[in-house]
Amino acid sequence: KGRRGQKGKNRGCVLAEIHLNVTDLDLGYETKEELIFRYCSGSCDAAETTYDKILKNLTRKKKLVNDKVRQACCRPTAYDDDLSFLDDKLVYHILKKHSAKRCGCV
Amino acid sequence: MELTRCVGWAYRANKLEPALSKGNNCLDAAKACNLNDTCKRFRSAYITPCTSSTSNEICNKRKCHKALRLFFDKVPPKHSYGMLFCSCRDIACTERRRQTIVPVCSYEDKEKPNCLNLQDSSVRVKPAPQPPVPALSPPQTQSPLLHPRSLIPWLTPEPGSPNPMCCSLLIGTVMTPNYIDSSSLSVAPWCDCSNSGNDIEECLKFLNFFQDNTCLKNAIQAFGNGTDVTVWQPILPVQTTTATTTTASRFKSMGSESTNNEISTHNDLPACANLQVRLLHKCYTKIAI
Repeated sequence: KGRRGQKGKNRGCVLAEIHLNVTDLDLGYETKEELIFRYCSGSCDAAETTYDKILKNLTRKKKLVNDKVRQACCRPTAYDDDLSFLDDKLVYHILKKHSAKRCGCV
Repeated sequence: MELTRCVGWAYRANKLEPALSKGNNCLDAAKACNLNDTCKRFRSAYITPCTSSTSNEICNKRKCHKALRLFFDKVPPKHSYGMLFCSCRDIACTERRRQTIVPVCSYEDKEKPNCLNLQDSSVRVKPAPQPPVPALSPPQTQSPLLHPRSLIPWLTPEPGSPNPMCCSLLIGTVMTPNYIDSSSLSVAPWCDCSNSGNDIEECLKFLNFFQDNTCLKNAIQAFGNGTDVTVWQPILPVQTTTATTTTASRFKSMGSESTNNEISTHNDLPACANLQVRLLHKCYTKIAI
């Protein structure tokens, strides 16, 4: 039972992808090249560690002055390979750490 | 026949794709590359060293060449050749095509050496373990690059290979060729024939083999017009003289009887008349410069 719960905990946080133009990224590049952008999406509601549980409980009991304590977020734990492209002025550019490869609740 | 054996790109004479399709094929090829994980990775892997300037140089040419060789070695031809041999109808396209190998680093240099000198310092190929040489094979007295009958720009037979179909690419060597301008399919390595002295004829012959090679131009054009490369199929080597040849593929000439306006049937190279377009055979040697 415990294992099932463990497995289901992060079910919400997954890798998603979308096919975009490089210009859609709004990074200031002028090019007609395209890319596949992968990102992490989903909830990390289920408490992951005892730390997260305590935070949740304390927040609920209003024992923390600042209740904006961060809970686990669905974030990249590894990034995709670099992406290179040629812009309209024939200059090459390389994007690093621009796209997710794996996701996790961190 | 020998002339054609290193033409490492394929075409489909019967492809329904109209030759006059609109758009920028080189851009389409770049898009396709970045949507393919392997191509994307190895493209960035050469763009990075080819565009990173060092303290007193534009780039580290050696690293750039190495990464270029890796790109053409690892990426399927439909992607790598797709970018290198894309067909163009405007300057934006041809300029993009010319930039494929990042010529400012991989091609251009401060000075243009004499082509014959360049040849002398050229491709050193590390021969793989030598299999017994078949008794009938002609002795290789000249370097393959010096042998005009076996030289196809961009591809050169692999010396020491038991299989005459084995070729390797010139890109990433000191002989790296590129398109010389944006208005034609003429290619040349970074050299000229000044200061040739008595060897001027030999030098021009060599240079013209790159610049005025109808056979090559036709092959590039043909590749650019056939966008579908599903015909690249692995088969057994044509000449199985030994068991050491590991991988070999061949383009199955489909509809070779049908007419194709792009393939000139009257040119000065007799080998072009029955152009057997084949996928280059990577055998076992690695260029070791």
